[in-house]
Amino acid sequence: MYKLLLCWRYLRTRYLAMVCIVSVMLGVATLIVVNSVMGGFSTKLKDRLHGLLSDIVIEERQAGTFDDPEGKMARIRSDPFLAERVEAMTAVHETFAMLIGEGAIPNTRPVHLIGIDPKSRALIGGFQEFLQSERNRADPARAFEPDDEAYRRYWNEQMLRDQERRKEEALEAMQAVQEPDPGLPPAPPPPVPSGPAKPLPEAPSWHDRPHVPHGAIVGYALSHYRRPAVDGQPPEEVCTLQRGESIVLTTVKGTKLTPVYDRFIVTDYVKTEMSEYDSNYIFVPLEHLQRIRGMEGRVTSIQIKLKDYREAKAVVERLQQLFEPVGLDVKTWEEKQGPLLAAISIEKGILNVLLFMIIAVAGFGILAIFTMIVVEKTRDIGILKALGASNGGVMKIFLAYGLLLGVVGAALGSVLGLVFTHNINEIEKFLGKVTGQGEIFNRSIYYFDRIPTDIQPMNVLLVNLGAIVVAVLFSVLPALRAAMLHPVRALRFE
Amino acid sequence: MLTAINLHKTYRKDAILTPVLRGLDLEVLPGEFLSIVGMSGSGKSTLLHLLGTLDRPDEGEVRFDGKRIDDLRADKRDRLRNETFGFIFQFYHLLPELTALENVLMPQMISHSVLGWLGRRRALRRRAEELMERVGLSHRLHHRPRELSGGEMQRAAIARALINRPRVLLADEPTGNLDEDTGREIVSLLHDLNRQDGLTIVMVTHNREIAAGTDRVVRLHAGRVESPIALSSPFLAET
Repeated sequence: MYKLLLCWRYLRTRYLAMVCIVSVMLGVATLIVVNSVMGGFSTKLKDRLHGLLSDIVIEERQAGTFDDPEGKMARIRSDPFLAERVEAMTAVHETFAMLIGEGAIPNTRPVHLIGIDPKSRALIGGFQEFLQSERNRADPARAFEPDDEAYRRYWNEQMLRDQERRKEEALEAMQAVQEPDPGLPPAPPPPVPSGPAKPLPEAPSWHDRPHVPHGAIVGYALSHYRRPAVDGQPPEEVCTLQRGESIVLTTVKGTKLTPVYDRFIVTDYVKTEMSEYDSNYIFVPLEHLQRIRGMEGRVTSIQIKLKDYREAKAVVERLQQLFEPVGLDVKTWEEKQGPLLAAISIEKGILNVLLFMIIAVAGFGILAIFTMIVVEKTRDIGILKALGASNGGVMKIFLAYGLLLGVVGAALGSVLGLVFTHNINEIEKFLGKVTGQGEIFNRSIYYFDRIPTDIQPMNVLLVNLGAIVVAVLFSVLPALRAAMLHPVRALRFE
Repeated sequence: MLTAINLHKTYRKDAILTPVLRGLDLEVLPGEFLSIVGMSGSGKSTLLHLLGTLDRPDEGEVRFDGKRIDDLRADKRDRLRNETFGFIFQFYHLLPELTALENVLMPQMISHSVLGWLGRRRALRRRAEELMERVGLSHRLHHRPRELSGGEMQRAAIARALINRPRVLLADEPTGNLDEDTGREIVSLLHDLNRQDGLTIVMVTHNREIAAGTDRVVRLHAGRVESPIALSSPFLAET
């Protein structure tokens, strides 16, 4: 009983003890905040990495493409084990291409071209919900058809281009007429068609005009850029590739790698918030891509969505039995992104070790302060022993004291850390205002509107436990010293 | 009741040996008020510490009720100090963080576990309050030691020594730090306890007058008992 009473009194009457509590508190709070923010980033990143990737991917190992995806999917469906676990499948044809924008701002860059069947691709997930047009989100099967507005823009653009071309032809014809006979007086200029003044003919309806190019869904970052804040103007999203504008995609054909190109019309954007995808990917209709590449029926991968991802391992094994012999690779999305995911988790682990040093520093503070308190309390320890307290009892006073400091510090630190994490966006805004830096956390890099956080109760618990264990461990030495004091010598201590 | 046989104790500071007790024999009788006198360094306090098992002799034995107690295991000695002996010190040795009442209750807290304490808290508290009333401190229950006078602190220390109903009270110069009047009050309190409760008291003192008032005076010299003099002995007047 006396242990608790003394421990409590020592806590209340020693302001040095408050220093220990504050140092434990700061360590715990820092660990919780950093873990939550890093956890938030990595779950968000994982979500986005997963975004466009299906749960399981079947790929060709060497040639890059394989044929008869329907037959293979039928085989999967006929396997009772797999049929029960596979929710959806789709065939995909991926290749590299060069994008040439024909709009007002010329735009030439390498892209990742993906041929999909929008209807079955939508069932895999990680596609439909990223589309920007509401009509397409509701009905992804029509994602490659331009909507009315896009179609009108395309039509107007074509008309304007037509007029420009005719004007140029007329001018050239005029010059050609004048040149052969410079001696003659100049003929009166023929009437030049005044292009834009004349109203454009009304666009015919989409269904009457089947010769419109195929649609393409373009990554959001390929078609937009975020203009940074200049001269007090807020940052702004600028669209460089409107819906309905046409683009030219160049890729290679067949085994001889002959360059081929075709014109596409932008029908929608895909915004996964994963910049690697958003700034590289262009989706086009699967069959058309196969046709222009001269690879009818051939695909680069089959994507599979599972009913329950926890069964991925078993499914992958079964699929490998089926398809390894024909030279196909089966992987989960995590295996495909393995190195990146591993890097994230290693980074987090190292950071945790480094941050735990903060708590170790708090531990040394406890050691120093406790040693002081034991010296200061030497006579009292002698008194307690004269009154019949055992060595173990005296030791327990200081161990309990360390435990109490640890528990109080960890509890306060948890509260502080959780409150900080919860309000991190407001705090960031405030800090930005105070320091005049504007946004500390640059949204244009990540497209995040808010700093993502992910508080894991298990993690908070571990941090707390670690802090308390450190506090107790570092009080063992002073506690032993107190226990070993000789009562007579302690009583004479002045 | 409490017997010391051929006690030897040497303190060692680095290489310097300081023999304090050299073959001391002493018998404390039940119910007597014994005072120990002697020059500084004659080993009075050391003897008291050995009798109360706060320290162990290098040689010799301490017996209580005929049983040897100096070589008992640590936990048994802790228990003896808690239950059988009561200590009073020259500098009172109260714990500064606790109130007078809590200081008095401390030996009880040491002997009870948390649950035992919670169960018997009221009864123990009442006994502590009675004891404090008896030593004349009922108006100082919740004061901290630094708010008390020297005499009050020593009274609180006596109440603390009595709370576990000890059989022997070991007092190490209880009046050494007090003025004469207060010292006399404390000694008369000890006499009351000795007479009314039959408490055995062993008191170390420098004050001849106070020693003269006790049942028996033992004089230490060079680590031995020089003259176990009866109170009525004419020797006492000469010292």
